Amino acid sequence: MVQNHRREDHETGGENKEKRPKFFINDHVDILIEILERLDGRSLCIAASVCRLWCTIARNDSLWENLCFRHVSPPPSSVRSVVLALGGYKRLYTGCVRPVRSRLGRVRRASWARDEVQLSLSLFCVDYYERLGGSNSNGRLVEKSSPSSLMFLCKPVNV
Amino acid sequence: MVLYDSATLGGSCSGSSSSSSSSKPPPLQQRQQTQQDIDGFLAGAGYRVRSSELRKVAQRLERLETAMVNSPADLSQLASDTIHYNPSDLASWVDSLLSELTQPPTCPSEFIMDPVSNQTVVSDAWTTAEPHMPQVHQNISYEQQSLNNQLTVVPAMEEDSGIRLVHMLMTCAECVQRGDFSLATSCLEDMQGLLTRVNTVCGIGKVAGHFIDALSRRIFQGIGGGSVNGGSAYENELLYHHFYEACPYLKFAHFTANQAILEAFDGHDCVHVVDFNLMHGLQWPALIQALALRPGGPPLLRLTGIGPPSPDGRDSLREIGLRLAELARSVNVRFAFRGVAASRLEDVKPWMLQVNPKESVAVNSIMQLHRLLGSDPNRNSPIETVLSWIRSLNPKIMTVVEQEANHNQPGFLDRFTEALHYYSTMFDSLEACTVQPNKALAEIYIQREIANVVSCEGSARVERHEPLSKWRTRLSGAGFRPLHLGSNAYKQASMLLTLFSAEGYSVEENDGCLTLGWHSRPLIAASAWQAVSDGTADFPA
Repeated sequence: MVQNHRREDHETGGENKEKRPKFFINDHVDILIEILERLDGRSLCIAASVCRLWCTIARNDSLWENLCFRHVSPPPSSVRSVVLALGGYKRLYTGCVRPVRSRLGRVRRASWARDEVQLSLSLFCVDYYERLGGSNSNGRLVEKSSPSSLMFLCKPVNV
Repeated sequence: MVLYDSATLGGSCSGSSSSSSSSKPPPLQQRQQTQQDIDGFLAGAGYRVRSSELRKVAQRLERLETAMVNSPADLSQLASDTIHYNPSDLASWVDSLLSELTQPPTCPSEFIMDPVSNQTVVSDAWTTAEPHMPQVHQNISYEQQSLNNQLTVVPAMEEDSGIRLVHMLMTCAECVQRGDFSLATSCLEDMQGLLTRVNTVCGIGKVAGHFIDALSRRIFQGIGGGSVNGGSAYENELLYHHFYEACPYLKFAHFTANQAILEAFDGHDCVHVVDFNLMHGLQWPALIQALALRPGGPPLLRLTGIGPPSPDGRDSLREIGLRLAELARSVNVRFAFRGVAASRLEDVKPWMLQVNPKESVAVNSIMQLHRLLGSDPNRNSPIETVLSWIRSLNPKIMTVVEQEANHNQPGFLDRFTEALHYYSTMFDSLEACTVQPNKALAEIYIQREIANVVSCEGSARVERHEPLSKWRTRLSGAGFRPLHLGSNAYKQASMLLTLFSAEGYSVEENDGCLTLGWHSRPLIAASAWQAVSDGTADFPA
């Protein structure tokens, strides 16, 4: 508060601006989070490569939660616990919501946003279930449990 | 003076449509010809071509067409009457024309094609083609380049072989139905020879290969079909899993059934799902998650999974149950699992399911009911037994997903024909679907079905698919009434299909049931049913 007061004195006094402190975004993490919350998925990933601070912030699941539910009216609170149990919002977004949205984008209708998320959640759940199989000590189950139920969402590689 | 449009000639044997020759292609049973001799189909059209030369002649016809279209020579010279080349000897006719047209434009020979006497003509295609001739290329190198594009001829040739394969398959099946196994065997040998000249990696060649295998199994090993059904439970589960991943049919089945069950359980706190074929339990995570998120909180969910007993002491049902329980625990859904091991569905008795009178029951059958349709005159029909005990449970909903095909007809040839169409469509859809390595195993899964439909009889034949209309009659007769699947299920199914990168799948609504098909041929149908309540229900509603 003292600093601000001093700054005002300077301005009202018409003093030179040389002593005015520069603005580093990294000093204002709350503003940074506000900005990152509004990015799209790809930009968020790029932002995560900027520096360690940004990387840590971008890993914060609530940012990805925003991304998932951006176009949807606020979901019930129970969704969060389910999604976190199944692996987190970042995984949900990159594994399911993004491919679903991009593929459905061709034929999207306005009313589908909520259904897209629900479908993504279901697919996410099947994927979690397959990943669970790996934790089983039985050798045979491990072999057939590589999570591939989401493979059909991956872009086919044109060899 | 009469000229032929060479475009119609350079292709399949439908060239005969350009003539009003009355001779049909000779019936296949009379084709005793070896490969050195004249091709039968073209002979019917009045052209004599050796079968061994067909491919070469077709290629040259393509080249001739390209050369004529691009020829710098003034084609009106063709209209004058100088030299006669008899086109019925197609090979030499094409060669001569080609050699004349690909020479430098300074010496265009003048000739005319003389129609074979028993044919009337066709279009005066040349007179109209001339003013529409595309840009005349003085540049010979272009011509050379277009002549190099001979690969385009291959599909036309293949199509011809493909059609022939299909004809031969039908002939062989008809012989089998008649009991004429010696002719069937020779047909089989012919087909196997033809297969070597066709691309068996995709298309009709691949499907035909599987059908030929199934037919030979039937002819040489009899209809017991031992090895077809002998796959271990582990193998079956693996193949099923890959089929689940390679194409959307099972996903569609699971999601549609789950949606119907979810809606039926709305408002109930104690629910019990009976799954007739648990496999890896891939259907249930999505239901558990949907129940976890339903407004009002999740109910107590009990799941009873029926599956074949595991041979080596492993309790695979229990393992799947443990996995599902772990998932349910993560999302805070109270869950209980019970496994019922039975090698046949008709061996399951309702007391094994331990249904509590206070809970709402859902019965889920994904491609299981058709296995019960084999009728043994000594016993009660298994389908009726099972349907009656399902009814006695008074389920809130019974979801039935079945293949949309008529593979249970008594006549072998009808069944064979229907199966050929059905599985060709299914393989087409698989082709366009994916680049995964799973595709091969999914194909083996389908191949086993084909083998069962074609090469087994009696109790060994379990793949007795029936179309939706027959199931409707059967289930209505057994005391069930249909429940409409609703727009949410339809919306979800459409979205699911849009996710698959292949475009060609279509979801259709059929009087309250949903069908998934490839290019408007429905391949799998999902429906929901409820027991008609009468005063004699065992459990209170």
